[in-house]
Amino acid sequence: MTRNAEAALLAAASVVAAMGVALVNFATGSGFDAQVALTFLVFAASFGSVHMALRRWAPEGNPYLFPIAAFLTAIGFTEIYRLDPELASVQRWSMLLAGAVTTAVLLLLRDEGVVMLRRYRYLFLAGAVLLLLLPLLPETWPLYGAEVNGSRLWVRLRLPVGDRALSFQPGEVAKVLLVVFLASYLADRHVAMATTGRHLGPIRLPEPRQLGPILIAAGASFAVLVYQRDLGASLLLFALFITMVFVATGRAAYLVTGMGLVAVGGIFAYQQFDHVQRRVFAWLHPFDDFADAGYQVIQGLFAMGSGSLTGSGLGLGRPDLIPAASTDFIFASVAEEMGFAGSIAVLAAFALLAAAGFGIAIRSRDVFRKFLAFGLTIVIAVQAILILAGVLRLFPVTGITLPFMSYGGSSLLANMVLIALLVRASHGERT
Amino acid sequence: MNRPIRMVAGAVFVAFGVLVGAVTYHQVIAGPDYRDDPRNVRVATSQSGRERGTIITADGVVVAESTADPADPLVFRRTYPEGSLYGHTVGYTTFLFGSQGIESSFSDDLVSYRDATISGVLQAILGGDVRPRGLRLTIEHQLQEVAAEALGDQRGAVVALDPTTGAILAMVSTPGFDPNTLTGPGAAEAGQNLESSPAEPLLNRATAASYAPGSTFKIITTAAALEAGIASAGTPFPNPVELELPGSTATISNFNGQACGTGSEVSLATAFSFSCNTIFGMLGMEVGAERLVGTAESFGFNAEVPLEIRSIESSIPPASSFEFDVPGLAQSAIGQRDVLATPLQMALAAAAVANQGEIMVPYLVAEVFNSEGIVEEATEPVVWQRATGPAAAASLAGLMEGVVTSGTGRRASVPGIRIAGKTGTAEVPDSAPHAWFVGFGPVGATAEDPQIAIAVLVESGGDAGEAATGGTVAAPIAQVVFAEFFGIGQE
Repeated sequence: MTRNAEAALLAAASVVAAMGVALVNFATGSGFDAQVALTFLVFAASFGSVHMALRRWAPEGNPYLFPIAAFLTAIGFTEIYRLDPELASVQRWSMLLAGAVTTAVLLLLRDEGVVMLRRYRYLFLAGAVLLLLLPLLPETWPLYGAEVNGSRLWVRLRLPVGDRALSFQPGEVAKVLLVVFLASYLADRHVAMATTGRHLGPIRLPEPRQLGPILIAAGASFAVLVYQRDLGASLLLFALFITMVFVATGRAAYLVTGMGLVAVGGIFAYQQFDHVQRRVFAWLHPFDDFADAGYQVIQGLFAMGSGSLTGSGLGLGRPDLIPAASTDFIFASVAEEMGFAGSIAVLAAFALLAAAGFGIAIRSRDVFRKFLAFGLTIVIAVQAILILAGVLRLFPVTGITLPFMSYGGSSLLANMVLIALLVRASHGERT
Repeated sequence: MNRPIRMVAGAVFVAFGVLVGAVTYHQVIAGPDYRDDPRNVRVATSQSGRERGTIITADGVVVAESTADPADPLVFRRTYPEGSLYGHTVGYTTFLFGSQGIESSFSDDLVSYRDATISGVLQAILGGDVRPRGLRLTIEHQLQEVAAEALGDQRGAVVALDPTTGAILAMVSTPGFDPNTLTGPGAAEAGQNLESSPAEPLLNRATAASYAPGSTFKIITTAAALEAGIASAGTPFPNPVELELPGSTATISNFNGQACGTGSEVSLATAFSFSCNTIFGMLGMEVGAERLVGTAESFGFNAEVPLEIRSIESSIPPASSFEFDVPGLAQSAIGQRDVLATPLQMALAAAAVANQGEIMVPYLVAEVFNSEGIVEEATEPVVWQRATGPAAAASLAGLMEGVVTSGTGRRASVPGIRIAGKTGTAEVPDSAPHAWFVGFGPVGATAEDPQIAIAVLVESGGDAGEAATGGTVAAPIAQVVFAEFFGIGQE
């Protein structure tokens, strides 16, 4: 019974999180306390409710995706707790919320499965566009967009009491809705897109009409870049569009055209936007501006280098020196305190997640489910690769979250739902 | 439709492969560079906040200790109660400037294992001692203080050691620096000032700077001649006013520009007492390059002295370089030209004569003790190398005693103790001469007698400037140290 394996692995991940918290406590002088028990309970409750839902409504679904996600969440949570216990307690609430929402999504899909989503394609498109536009709301409104670190990705809801505001990143949810829309759209159109076209010598160009989705994709991601100044989300969306169209049509021309557009757009963005230039400079020459532009990248490198093979030990490193240690640079924080061993474990977990996701896509006979599984996997994989490449200085830092590990409720919620859709899609396969 | 999925999946796994490569590079290959980068405050932070072991002198004076921050008992601050007196030997461990000296080389003993690393936890579980260990130095606090006071604000160094064991009794380098200034507030500025100061206060002149040894090198030239049977104390030498060097227009003359005494002939003993360059130039040429360089190497030249803290090589060019340079050989025999020695090396040369020709490995740390004060490791004296035979050493001791009783080193004498020594006044371009005194006492000691060997260097003549000689500037400093060591009221 595969679900029993899932239950055992989820329990193990909960223990990892609780033990991580206990280790941090030991390093800082206290020991087992309420935080350890609370962490275990929250993990057990959040992933447990998802597990019970899967047991009921997707018993044949892939049993390894959630355990891997829970493991990554546990590692990330431990490091967040080590950096700031207050953030960790907020993150615990986010986990409970994410668990509840994911369970609710599985409940909604209980009879028809993910196929049900195919019918509401334009609702999802509208929802995604609306969510992407939300951060542009003026700051004087009760629900308003906020700029953080030069990027406008946040929406805040002013609470009637006090000065506090509820904030979330609608882009995180929007990407899941977009995958659903694209999978549905391409499931209907892929035959036409694959077979029509004009010949130019040996090269078969796509029909201009069929280029529409690609141009829309380019336009949408560019709009995100211009209006929200979010390099990471822009690249992520674009990679999603291009690869999904490529998979649907099997035509490399879409891939090549898409990459050409990325290059042109990239050069244009570099010339037009200061914040892009700054990121590229910080990537290529971080040591030339140690104190300012290169500071974050270098602190990340110092953290990873100081971690060496086995790490400084939880609570004994200085990941607090890295700007955005609990969000964009959570990987560097983990690498410092858990060492090379920890970094490789994290990379392996992401690779396994991607492998399982692609496997589901390959085995699906229904095209919608195939595209859906592929798109969901691409979102997780590309998002992880983009931010990791930034931290590891293979690419400019793009300022997106590391799925499951970074601090942030919207990201956790969106990625939990995403994995739930993947598991639900794989369940249908066996029936 | 699965083919493109496999292709994209393949690209994603290649990307993960590249990420693994990058992680390997940053954490394993380039890791140590990042860790040691001076702008990376991690190592320094973690070390400086932790408890470190206490360092005490041979007579129990605390020279480095960690005290808990009253506000946070888990944070410790390293202090050096004796300030600049032990700045070069004990060194420092700091947030900004890394660590130096004993603090650096005995770091593994001095750190606390009370942490959550695997080895620390294991040790704690197995009932091991996780508290930092302490160190007892060989240095005698009183002697160190007296030596530093005698040097005053002149640039230079004093090294004193027990010739029978190699235990270093005093090691002073001036100008010094207070390591406390490198840890507290304003450390960055203080450190920069020290680094950029032309007086080079951070340089340990006792072990990490080498100088022309001048006439103190005649100990080695004489040892070579005695060993080879070329000369003995009574051997007569011709006594010219000036020594003409073959194959060149260069000459060697004596300090006062006159012949060595009044006679037409002069004994080796007299020449040694009055440090006559003419005679030792001749003797050097007679001994030959092979034997001169070989003897110097037996005394420790051209090799790193094994010491717990950084020490550099003293050097003499290889014998082959003198094949067509006989004047160079003659000048090397009187400690000029390209011969360079550290004060530590010259103290070891004196110690060799005192110890029947054997040089002991010098050491600064006598004992490592645990948090309960129980000694865990004690340094055993070890022979480093044989400089010369016992007979030659005995003759040299006699010659050196003559220097102090009736020659250039009279100002190093202390009443009631048979002191031996050799002065040096090393000519250096563009500066006043370096003043040297190396010596030991007592001559003819038995195994029970406390013994001391010493080297004093005063850079560029010190306060005396151009008028400085080893006998007038360096010998009195040695005298003060001898007097303190033997417990004799001065003068």
